[in-house]
Parts: sequence; C-alpha cells; structure tokens
Amino acid sequence: MSLVRQRHLVSLLVLALAFSLACGGKKRPPALASPEGLTPSAPASADTMPAQPLDEGPDVMAVEGEYATGSDLLSDYTTTYEEGSPLADIHFEYDVASLTEQTRATLERHAVWLQTRRDLRVTIEGHCDQRGTVEYNLALGEQRARAAWDYLVSLGVAADRLRTVSYGKERPLESSATEQAYSVNRRAHFSVSE
Amino acid sequence: MRRGLVAFAVLLAAAAGVGSRVGSAPQEPVEQIVIGGVTPRFAVPECVARTTDDRTQQACRSITQVLRNDLRFARLFQFVPDSLLTAVPPLNPDAPVFEDWRGIGARILVVTRAGIVSDELTVEVRVYFVDSGQTMLARRYSGKPDNPRVFAHQASDDIMTLTQYKGVARTRIAFASDRDSTRERRSKEIYIVDYDGFNPRRVTVNGSLNILPAWSPDGMSLAYVSYRRVTPLIFLARIFEGKSIPNLTGERDNSQAFAPTFSPDGKRIAYASNRSGNMDVWVAGTDGSAPQRLTTTRAADTAPCWSPTGQEIAFTSSRTGTPQLYIMGADGLNVRRLTTVGNYNDGCAWSPARQFSEIAYTSRLEAGGFDIAIIDLATKQVRQITQGRGSCEYPSWAPNGRHLVFSCERRGTWAITVSDREGRSITRLAAGPGNNVQPDWGP
Repeated sequence: MSLVRQRHLVSLLVLALAFSLACGGKKRPPALASPEGLTPSAPASADTMPAQPLDEGPDVMAVEGEYATGSDLLSDYTTTYEEGSPLADIHFEYDVASLTEQTRATLERHAVWLQTRRDLRVTIEGHCDQRGTVEYNLALGEQRARAAWDYLVSLGVAADRLRTVSYGKERPLESSATEQAYSVNRRAHFSVSE
Repeated sequence: MRRGLVAFAVLLAAAAGVGSRVGSAPQEPVEQIVIGGVTPRFAVPECVARTTDDRTQQACRSITQVLRNDLRFARLFQFVPDSLLTAVPPLNPDAPVFEDWRGIGARILVVTRAGIVSDELTVEVRVYFVDSGQTMLARRYSGKPDNPRVFAHQASDDIMTLTQYKGVARTRIAFASDRDSTRERRSKEIYIVDYDGFNPRRVTVNGSLNILPAWSPDGMSLAYVSYRRVTPLIFLARIFEGKSIPNLTGERDNSQAFAPTFSPDGKRIAYASNRSGNMDVWVAGTDGSAPQRLTTTRAADTAPCWSPTGQEIAFTSSRTGTPQLYIMGADGLNVRRLTTVGNYNDGCAWSPARQFSEIAYTSRLEAGGFDIAIIDLATKQVRQITQGRGSCEYPSWAPNGRHLVFSCERRGTWAITVSDREGRSITRLAAGPGNNVQPDWGP
C-alpha cells in the first residue's frame, strides 16, 4: 500500500467524518408498565377498557463526540515516513503464530532500521485470513503481533516504542476466497508513526 | 405434548376466573400448545379501523400484518388460512359471531381495532376463546401514531403471556456492519434493529472499527470493542443518552480487550484481555472495577459467555491445540471441557432459558465451512442448526431461549440470520445493506 496515498486519505476521511451525521432512528419502548398476566373478565365495551399509554420511550441516540481524529486515527492511515516504510509485512502459515527462519530474518532487518530511526514508534498489527471465527482470529492475530513484538524486543528495540494490535480477520488486504488472498492476509503489518 | 395440554388447561382456568395460577416452566420444551389432542387454531382477522381516513386504514393494515408475523414467529400456534378468514362475514369487534369463526376451524380469535383521534392512535386487542366466547385477554393501547408496528409488537407480547414463554416482539438485535464504510476507510459501526429486521438505527459514529456489541440486561447500554484509540478496547455506549465510556476495563501498557459480555444480573462484565501477556478470560464490575483474571494457561482463552444463573462461565480455549469450549465457575475454578466433537469450536452462547439447558456455538465441519451447533448440557448431545447455508457463526439467543440469531456468509456477503432452536424456519433478516455480523439479541 502506498503510504503517500494514505496520507491523502487522512484528510479526506477527517472531512468525511465531519459530515457524517448521527442517524437518530425510531423510538422504542424500553419497558411498558402493563398489568401482569391475564385480564380474566374484560369489560363488555372497549370504551370502558383501561388504556395503556404506549410510551415509545426515549430515542436511541448515536454516540457522538467521539469521532476518531488526529492521533485517534487508525494506524492504517497514519503516515509519517516519506519514502514509505521499509518495514515489510511478515507472513504466517495457516493457523500458526510462530516465526520462521525467513520472518526472523525480516524482523532482524526491521530491528536494524528501527535503531537508526529512534524517533519512530511502531504499531504491530496481527492479521488473519478469513477462515475461522471472529473470536479465535482475534486471539490468533494477537499471538502473531506478540511473536513479532517479542522478537523485536529481544533484538534490542525498546519495548515502549512498540505496541501490538490484533485485527483478527476484520481487515483483510484481499477479500477474495482464494489461497493467494489467504496467504497475503495472514500477516503482521508494521505501522510506523512519529 | 401432554405437559402443554396441562399448561393450557391451567391458563384457561385462569381466564375463566377460577383463580388458578399460570403453571411454572415445564421440564421439557413444549413446541405447540395442545388442547384435547387438538392444536388451537388462531384466527387473526384484519384490524377494524374506527374511521375511514387513510392514516387509520394504513395503521390498521400495518398492525394486522405485524401482529400475524409476530405470532407466527413464536412457532407456538396454528393459524386459520387467510383464504378462510375472508369467507367469514364482516366482524363486529364488540360482538363477534363465534359460530362463524367456529365454522372455519378457529379456536382462538384475535380481534384488533384501531382509531386515530387528535394525533393519538388507540388500539384495542381482544383474544376470545371461540368455543365458550370467553375473553382470554383484553388490552387497549394508546400513543403516538408514528410507528403502528410498536402497537402490534406490544399486543403480540401480551398475547404471549397466555403461554409459558415470554414474547420477543419488542426485543432488538445489535450487530456490527460495514455499510457506512468507504473503500479507503474500512470501518465497522454498531447498529440496532428490531427483532424482525425493521427500524435500523446506528449507535456508533466514529469511522473506526467497532465490533462485538453486547447488550446490558436492562437494554440501556451496549458494550463493544472499538479501535478508535488504535488499540482495541471495550467501550460502553449508553444508547439512549448518546454517551460512551471509553476503555471500560482500564487496559493500559499496550493491553487489548475483546468480547465483552454482561452477567445476567448486569453487575459484572466478562471479557478477554491480554493484560497478563497472554489472552485470558477476565471479569470486572460493570464500571470496570476490580478486574480479575480467571484463566491462567499459556494458551489463548477467549470468548466468555455466562450461564443463566451467573454462577458459571463458558469460554473458548486452545489449551489442547485446537479451540474447544470449556466451562468454569464464575470464580475461575472447576474448569472442565465441554466440547469433544470436532476440532474447532468457538463462540459460546448459553441459553438464557433454564428449561433448555444448552449452549449454542460455532463449529467447523469436515468440509471446512462453519455451522451453528447446540450442545445439550445434560446429555452432551450435539445438534447441528445450520447446514449448507454457507458459513455461519456467532450465535446469540433470544431472551426466551426459543430462537437464535447468528451471521451467515453467502456469495461473499454476511447477513443476520434467525432460526428457532431446532434449526427450523431459518430466515435472513432484512437488516439493511453491507456485511452484517456479530449479532447480539437484546432484551
């Protein structure tokens, strides 16, 4: 993904968010104060029946005032490095969170680069392919991000420069149901910010 | 079935003013109410409008349609076919000719009448036992005429008080959807719909990822996971106030929290957190106070759900190498494995109905797809609820334990889907556009 393109998106998104409105929605009765159980002998005329006020209750209100802005923006969209981050994604086997020779080698290069840029922080995102359940994949993504975090810290990167976030299967790079898409999606992504 | 007969006989006695109490919940499920070997057939004729103006007529049509749908949804009653209803002479709501209704095989007659006077809609509902002409239930509702569906839902829930099951016509379902997402910013927000898919409303408006909504038992709040501070944290939205409490569980130093779920008494919240350096099940007060770690294995322990008594918690653990369901005390003690069939079981939902001692969950089949299954806690027998509907996951129970909601993927789109607890009448809810996932059936 081009980080330059992403920077443009930030401003667009902030604008879009500013314009997005809460949709109020219909009212809904929280609970109705109604007589319990049966009405054994109802009055013959409907006019003498006691009326229950059908109070629809308060409106459901969208949670406002919590637009994600500035530093709250998703790491996907925080772009700080002009030439693009050299921190390439690392990939995992299906249902596996452990590192391989290859991914360790990649992380070693990342560690070296991070030592030259001590002004930067990294959010390590753990992602999964779309097979599997929501909850399991959130746990698996957490393990993938943590595996990368552990190794980077063991290589001397200061722990307080790194944080981990699991996206589970919520943010696939490719949405098609193919082996190729699955393997691209099983990744740890390194989002760099100042 | 025999038990159903008894229960209904008791109800009739109560209706006749004998003074008996409605029978307590039966030991086994009663799927149909039966009287003397015959299922009582309901006739729900068209609502009678008090005036001929369009608005009243329209309200009446809506009430008829919604009431019929609500009562059919319960899957407890039989109905006289609509074609036979039109064969009966016009109904006098104050004095139905029961002979007419007996003639088309109706045993229960539901009469509705509506009128709008000075911007107030009044709806009368009477339920008659056709054989004796006795009134089983009479209600009169009045309120704003904007949404006649609410009146029908209320009437349906009141009619359900004639059974031993609580109606769900006024309940709502929360879920996450990408419908307001953009190509660049792939957000999910939290939404609410009525149980029948109508009336969608949006709860979160932050353009981030908002997932895994969970109702508080009083229906006033939703806990959910939001990425709006980058790290996934549990937020609490007070949905009638438009307010939210961020980071409810007080995560710090890079820790993340997922999968919130309220205890049945609404006082505690169970969730998954990696605060200890590993994903574990935690419990805290609903205000986030006194977080306590319940699981301690090195494996991932996630996705908790509460027993209806609040004394136990089921959850998913990968401690044996594959995700399986376990049950423990709400104090974290006495852990035992629940699922033994299949190598991938996750996402428990414990039936809130104590007469159905069962847990719904998501299970992977040999073919690789996922389906909804239910395990009977007494016999450990598993029954498969979905089959050949694409992949389904994330079940949640209706408050009376008679229906389930979950999400199914078909042709690349996820839809909120409802089924009864036997896996019959599986229906995709028209809950709006986008991928609609992670439903939670509210009070």
